[in-house]
Amino acid sequence: MNNRIRELRARLDLSQLELAQRVGVRRETIVFLEKGKYNPSLRLAHDIARTFALPIEEVFCFDDGSRP
Amino acid sequence: MKKMILIFVICALLLVSLAVWALRGKVAGNALELLETGVIFILVGFAFFLGLSRVRSHLRKEPSEDEMSKRVMTKTSSLAFYVSIYLWLFIMYISDRITLPTHSLIGAGIMGMALVFLFSWLYVKAAGMRNE
Repeated sequence: MNNRIRELRARLDLSQLELAQRVGVRRETIVFLEKGKYNPSLRLAHDIARTFALPIEEVFCFDDGSRP
Repeated sequence: MKKMILIFVICALLLVSLAVWALRGKVAGNALELLETGVIFILVGFAFFLGLSRVRSHLRKEPSEDEMSKRVMTKTSSLAFYVSIYLWLFIMYISDRITLPTHSLIGAGIMGMALVFLFSWLYVKAAGMRNE
């Protein structure tokens, strides 16, 4: 799963810590998400998308190659 | 907060018992004891690091645990348990071939399990958790 968190965060001039505090997770989780090392729960994906005022599918997208 | 305090209390207990053991003069100073002491210091360092990261999160007003940290711990525990079974099998295998008292073998097994947990944690952190 790919995401545009880093790009959208930069657009809103948000730090990783600020985004983490807004969605109620640790900064480390945002770091892992941006590196693509962690797939969020639907709840967290929803909260992040809502922070950017975008639908989930515009923040997170699946690539078929990553299907287990 | 409770878990944070618990981690530091366990670290302190380990270090105090190590100091008491050393001060009572029961140290033989052989290679096995040096190895055990080294492993204990590594494990205490690991626990201290985990405790410190929780303190840092607390100071930054982040949750000390979130969905990812819980998932990391769950995956680490299951991986460490799986590997530990083979560790105990190995200990059972070598126990017939070397002469060590039973309490030393059990102690080595427990420390081995803690080391396996540490390496599993490092592996999960490095590899990440995609597509699960």
